[in-house]
Amino acid sequence: MNTITFPSVLQALPSADKSVNQTSTTPFDAQKSFASVLKDSINKINNSQLEADKMTEMLANGENVDLHQVMIAQQKANITLQATLEVRNKVIEAYQEMMRMQV
Amino acid sequence: MSIFNSMNTTASALTAQRLRMDVISSNMANVDTTRGKRLPDGSWEPYRRKSVVLQPKDGSFSSYLQKAIGLNGSNTTGNGVMVSKIQEDTTTPFKMVYDPENPDANQDGFVQLPNVDPLREMVDLMSATRSYEANVTVFNASKGMMMKALEIGK
Repeated sequence: MNTITFPSVLQALPSADKSVNQTSTTPFDAQKSFASVLKDSINKINNSQLEADKMTEMLANGENVDLHQVMIAQQKANITLQATLEVRNKVIEAYQEMMRMQV
Repeated sequence: MSIFNSMNTTASALTAQRLRMDVISSNMANVDTTRGKRLPDGSWEPYRRKSVVLQPKDGSFSSYLQKAIGLNGSNTTGNGVMVSKIQEDTTTPFKMVYDPENPDANQDGFVQLPNVDPLREMVDLMSATRSYEANVTVFNASKGMMMKALEIGK
Protein backbone atom coordinates (compact mmCIF):
# COMPACT_ATOMS: atom_id res chain seq x y z
CA MET A 1 0.00 0.00 0.00
CA ASN A 2 1.34 3.34 -1.03
CA THR A 3 1.43 6.01 1.59
CA ILE A 4 1.05 9.60 0.61
CA THR A 5 4.24 11.38 1.46
CA PHE A 6 4.01 14.97 2.45
CA PRO A 7 7.29 16.16 0.86
CA SER A 8 5.88 15.44 -2.62
CA VAL A 9 2.87 17.55 -1.86
CA LEU A 10 5.01 20.28 -0.34
CA GLN A 11 7.28 20.30 -3.37
CA ALA A 12 4.32 21.16 -5.52
CA LEU A 13 3.05 23.76 -3.10
CA PRO A 14 5.80 26.41 -2.95
CA SER A 15 5.42 27.36 -6.61
CA ALA A 16 1.73 27.94 -6.07
CA ASP A 17 2.55 29.84 -2.91
CA LYS A 18 4.95 32.12 -4.81
CA SER A 19 2.38 33.02 -7.43
CA VAL A 20 -0.04 34.03 -4.69
CA ASN A 21 2.59 36.17 -3.00
CA GLN A 22 3.50 37.94 -6.23
CA THR A 23 0.18 39.79 -6.34
CA SER A 24 0.74 40.80 -2.70
CA THR A 25 -2.91 41.43 -1.86
CA THR A 26 -3.86 40.98 1.73
CA PRO A 27 -7.38 39.75 2.52
CA PHE A 28 -8.08 43.22 3.85
CA ASP A 29 -7.13 44.84 0.52
CA ALA A 30 -9.17 42.33 -1.42
CA GLN A 31 -12.17 42.97 0.77
CA LYS A 32 -11.75 46.73 0.44
CA SER A 33 -11.48 46.64 -3.34
CA PHE A 34 -14.50 44.31 -3.53
CA ALA A 35 -16.47 46.74 -1.39
CA SER A 36 -15.43 49.73 -3.48
CA VAL A 37 -16.32 47.96 -6.72
CA LEU A 38 -19.69 47.08 -5.27
CA LYS A 39 -20.20 50.63 -4.05
CA ASP A 40 -19.20 52.15 -7.40
CA SER A 41 -21.49 49.91 -9.37
CA ILE A 42 -24.38 50.58 -7.01
CA ASN A 43 -23.73 54.31 -7.42
CA LYS A 44 -23.76 53.93 -11.20
CA ILE A 45 -27.04 52.06 -11.03
CA ASN A 46 -28.44 54.76 -8.81
CA ASN A 47 -27.35 57.34 -11.39
CA SER A 48 -29.22 55.55 -14.15
CA GLN A 49 -32.29 55.37 -11.93
CA LEU A 50 -32.01 59.08 -11.16
CA GLU A 51 -31.62 59.91 -14.84
CA ALA A 52 -34.71 57.90 -15.72
CA ASP A 53 -36.53 59.69 -12.92
CA LYS A 54 -35.42 63.09 -14.18
CA MET A 55 -36.45 62.33 -17.75
CA THR A 56 -39.88 61.11 -16.63
CA GLU A 57 -40.36 64.25 -14.57
CA MET A 58 -39.32 66.44 -17.51
CA LEU A 59 -41.83 64.64 -19.74
CA ALA A 60 -44.57 65.03 -17.12
CA ASN A 61 -43.77 68.75 -16.85
CA GLY A 62 -44.19 69.10 -20.58
CA GLU A 63 -40.59 70.04 -21.24
CA ASN A 64 -38.88 69.53 -24.55
CA VAL A 65 -37.91 65.87 -24.20
CA ASP A 66 -38.65 63.01 -26.57
CA LEU A 67 -40.92 60.21 -25.43
CA HIS A 68 -38.56 57.55 -26.76
CA GLN A 69 -35.64 59.07 -24.84
CA VAL A 70 -37.65 58.69 -21.63
CA MET A 71 -38.59 55.11 -22.45
CA ILE A 72 -34.99 54.24 -23.32
CA ALA A 73 -33.69 55.79 -20.10
CA GLN A 74 -36.25 53.72 -18.17
CA GLN A 75 -35.26 50.53 -19.98
CA LYS A 76 -31.57 51.18 -19.30
CA ALA A 77 -32.35 51.70 -15.62
CA ASN A 78 -34.40 48.52 -15.64
CA ILE A 79 -31.59 46.47 -17.21
CA THR A 80 -28.93 47.78 -14.82
CA LEU A 81 -31.24 47.08 -11.88
CA GLN A 82 -31.88 43.53 -13.10
CA ALA A 83 -28.13 42.99 -13.45
CA THR A 84 -27.62 44.23 -9.89
CA LEU A 85 -30.31 41.91 -8.61
CA GLU A 86 -28.64 38.98 -10.35
CA VAL A 87 -25.31 39.85 -8.71
CA ARG A 88 -26.97 40.29 -5.31
CA ASN A 89 -28.76 36.94 -5.65
CA LYS A 90 -25.45 35.30 -6.50
CA VAL A 91 -23.70 36.91 -3.51
CA ILE A 92 -26.45 35.90 -1.11
CA GLU A 93 -26.48 32.39 -2.52
CA ALA A 94 -22.73 32.13 -1.90
CA TYR A 95 -23.14 33.50 1.64
CA GLN A 96 -25.88 31.02 2.46
CA GLU A 97 -23.80 28.23 1.04
CA MET A 98 -21.01 29.26 3.41
CA MET A 99 -23.38 29.43 6.37
CA ARG A 100 -24.63 25.94 5.67
CA MET A 101 -21.11 24.62 6.03
CA GLN A 102 -20.68 22.13 8.89
CA VAL A 103 -17.99 23.22 11.30
CA MET B 1 -21.47 52.93 -20.99
CA SER B 2 -20.43 50.53 -23.68
CA ILE B 3 -23.02 47.88 -22.94
CA PHE B 4 -25.66 50.37 -24.05
CA ASN B 5 -23.95 51.10 -27.38
CA SER B 6 -26.68 49.56 -29.49
CA MET B 7 -29.35 51.30 -27.43
CA ASN B 8 -27.70 54.69 -27.87
CA THR B 9 -27.41 54.06 -31.60
CA THR B 10 -31.09 53.18 -31.75
CA ALA B 11 -31.96 56.24 -29.70
CA SER B 12 -30.17 58.47 -32.21
CA ALA B 13 -32.10 56.85 -35.06
CA LEU B 14 -35.39 57.35 -33.22
CA THR B 15 -34.55 61.01 -32.65
CA ALA B 16 -33.66 61.45 -36.32
CA GLN B 17 -36.90 59.85 -37.45
CA ARG B 18 -38.90 62.01 -35.04
CA LEU B 19 -37.28 65.09 -36.53
CA ARG B 20 -38.06 63.82 -40.02
CA MET B 21 -41.67 63.41 -38.89
CA ASP B 22 -41.68 67.00 -37.56
CA VAL B 23 -40.44 68.27 -40.94
CA ILE B 24 -43.06 66.23 -42.79
CA SER B 25 -45.83 67.61 -40.59
CA SER B 26 -44.52 71.11 -41.25
CA ASN B 27 -44.68 70.42 -45.00
CA MET B 28 -48.20 69.04 -44.73
CA ALA B 29 -49.36 71.93 -42.60
CA ASN B 30 -48.01 74.48 -45.06
CA VAL B 31 -49.40 72.83 -48.17
CA ASP B 32 -51.43 75.97 -48.99
CA THR B 33 -49.17 78.63 -47.47
CA THR B 34 -48.64 81.41 -50.00
CA ARG B 35 -46.63 83.67 -47.70
CA GLY B 36 -43.60 81.68 -46.67
CA LYS B 37 -40.91 84.30 -47.11
CA ARG B 38 -40.94 87.97 -47.96
CA LEU B 39 -38.76 88.85 -50.94
CA PRO B 40 -36.66 92.05 -51.01
CA ASP B 41 -39.11 93.68 -53.44
CA GLY B 42 -41.96 93.29 -50.94
CA SER B 43 -43.79 90.42 -52.63
CA TRP B 44 -44.24 87.02 -51.04
CA GLU B 45 -42.71 83.69 -51.93
CA PRO B 46 -44.71 80.55 -51.01
CA TYR B 47 -43.48 77.98 -48.52
CA ARG B 48 -40.74 75.72 -49.80
CA ARG B 49 -40.79 72.01 -49.13
CA LYS B 50 -38.26 71.05 -46.46
CA SER B 51 -36.36 67.78 -46.26
CA VAL B 52 -33.96 66.26 -43.77
CA VAL B 53 -30.37 65.33 -44.59
CA LEU B 54 -28.99 62.48 -42.49
CA GLN B 55 -25.38 61.53 -41.90
CA PRO B 56 -23.65 58.96 -39.73
CA LYS B 57 -22.65 60.22 -36.32
CA ASP B 58 -18.97 59.58 -35.77
CA GLY B 59 -17.66 62.35 -33.63
CA SER B 60 -15.91 60.06 -31.19
CA PHE B 61 -12.18 60.22 -30.55
CA SER B 62 -11.65 56.61 -31.57
CA SER B 63 -13.27 57.16 -34.97
CA TYR B 64 -10.98 60.14 -35.67
CA LEU B 65 -7.99 58.11 -34.54
CA GLN B 66 -9.00 55.25 -36.82
CA LYS B 67 -9.29 57.70 -39.71
CA ALA B 68 -5.93 59.27 -38.89
CA ILE B 69 -4.12 55.95 -39.05
CA GLY B 70 -5.83 55.13 -42.33
CA LEU B 71 -8.34 52.54 -41.19
CA ASN B 72 -11.16 54.72 -42.48
CA GLY B 73 -13.30 53.79 -39.48
CA SER B 74 -14.46 50.63 -41.21
CA ASN B 75 -13.93 48.42 -38.19
CA THR B 76 -15.82 50.50 -35.67
CA THR B 77 -19.47 49.95 -34.89
CA GLY B 78 -20.39 53.61 -35.34
CA ASN B 79 -22.44 55.84 -33.11
CA GLY B 80 -25.69 56.04 -34.99
CA VAL B 81 -27.16 58.75 -37.13
CA MET B 82 -27.57 62.49 -36.90
CA VAL B 83 -29.35 65.17 -38.86
CA SER B 84 -26.75 67.31 -40.62
CA LYS B 85 -29.22 69.84 -41.98
CA ILE B 86 -32.78 70.59 -42.93
CA GLN B 87 -32.71 71.84 -46.49
CA GLU B 88 -35.30 73.56 -48.62
CA ASP B 89 -36.29 72.12 -51.96
CA THR B 90 -35.22 74.72 -54.55
CA THR B 91 -35.38 72.45 -57.61
CA THR B 92 -39.09 71.58 -57.75
CA PRO B 93 -41.05 74.53 -59.22
CA PHE B 94 -44.00 76.10 -57.39
CA LYS B 95 -47.50 75.12 -58.43
CA MET B 96 -49.37 77.82 -60.37
CA VAL B 97 -53.12 77.96 -59.74
CA TYR B 98 -55.57 80.38 -61.36
CA ASP B 99 -57.30 82.22 -58.50
CA PRO B 100 -57.74 85.93 -59.26
CA GLU B 101 -59.47 86.66 -55.91
CA ASN B 102 -56.44 85.62 -53.92
CA PRO B 103 -54.57 88.63 -52.53
CA ASP B 104 -51.28 87.06 -53.58
CA ALA B 105 -52.32 86.54 -57.19
CA ASN B 106 -50.13 88.11 -59.86
CA GLN B 107 -51.33 90.37 -62.72
CA ASP B 108 -52.54 87.37 -64.71
CA GLY B 109 -54.55 86.01 -61.78
CA PHE B 110 -52.23 83.10 -61.00
CA VAL B 111 -51.18 82.25 -57.46
CA GLN B 112 -47.92 80.48 -56.62
CA LEU B 113 -48.56 77.57 -54.23
CA PRO B 114 -45.88 75.65 -52.30
CA ASN B 115 -43.96 72.87 -54.06
CA VAL B 116 -45.29 70.38 -51.51
CA ASP B 117 -46.83 67.25 -52.94
CA PRO B 118 -49.17 65.69 -50.35
CA LEU B 119 -48.81 62.26 -51.94
CA ARG B 120 -45.05 62.38 -51.64
CA GLU B 121 -45.34 63.61 -48.06
CA MET B 122 -47.61 60.68 -47.22
CA VAL B 123 -45.06 58.25 -48.62
CA ASP B 124 -42.29 59.96 -46.61
CA LEU B 125 -44.53 59.81 -43.55
CA MET B 126 -45.02 56.06 -43.93
CA SER B 127 -41.30 55.62 -44.51
CA ALA B 128 -40.48 57.55 -41.32
CA THR B 129 -43.07 55.58 -39.34
CA ARG B 130 -41.79 52.22 -40.57
CA SER B 131 -38.20 53.22 -39.92
CA TYR B 132 -39.14 54.26 -36.38
CA GLU B 133 -40.88 50.93 -35.85
CA ALA B 134 -37.88 49.05 -37.20
CA ASN B 135 -35.61 50.85 -34.77
CA VAL B 136 -37.93 50.11 -31.86
CA THR B 137 -37.75 46.45 -32.90
CA VAL B 138 -33.95 46.66 -32.87
CA PHE B 139 -34.09 48.19 -29.40
CA ASN B 140 -36.37 45.44 -28.12
CA ALA B 141 -34.15 42.78 -29.65
CA SER B 142 -31.07 44.23 -27.99
CA LYS B 143 -32.91 44.46 -24.68
CA GLY B 144 -34.03 40.86 -25.14
CA MET B 145 -30.43 39.80 -25.64
CA MET B 146 -29.37 41.55 -22.45
CA MET B 147 -32.20 39.99 -20.46
CA LYS B 148 -31.25 36.58 -21.87
CA ALA B 149 -27.65 37.23 -20.83
CA LEU B 150 -28.86 37.85 -17.28
CA GLU B 151 -30.45 34.41 -17.33
CA ILE B 152 -27.06 32.76 -17.90
CA GLY B 153 -26.48 30.25 -15.14
CA LYS B 154 -29.95 30.40 -13.68
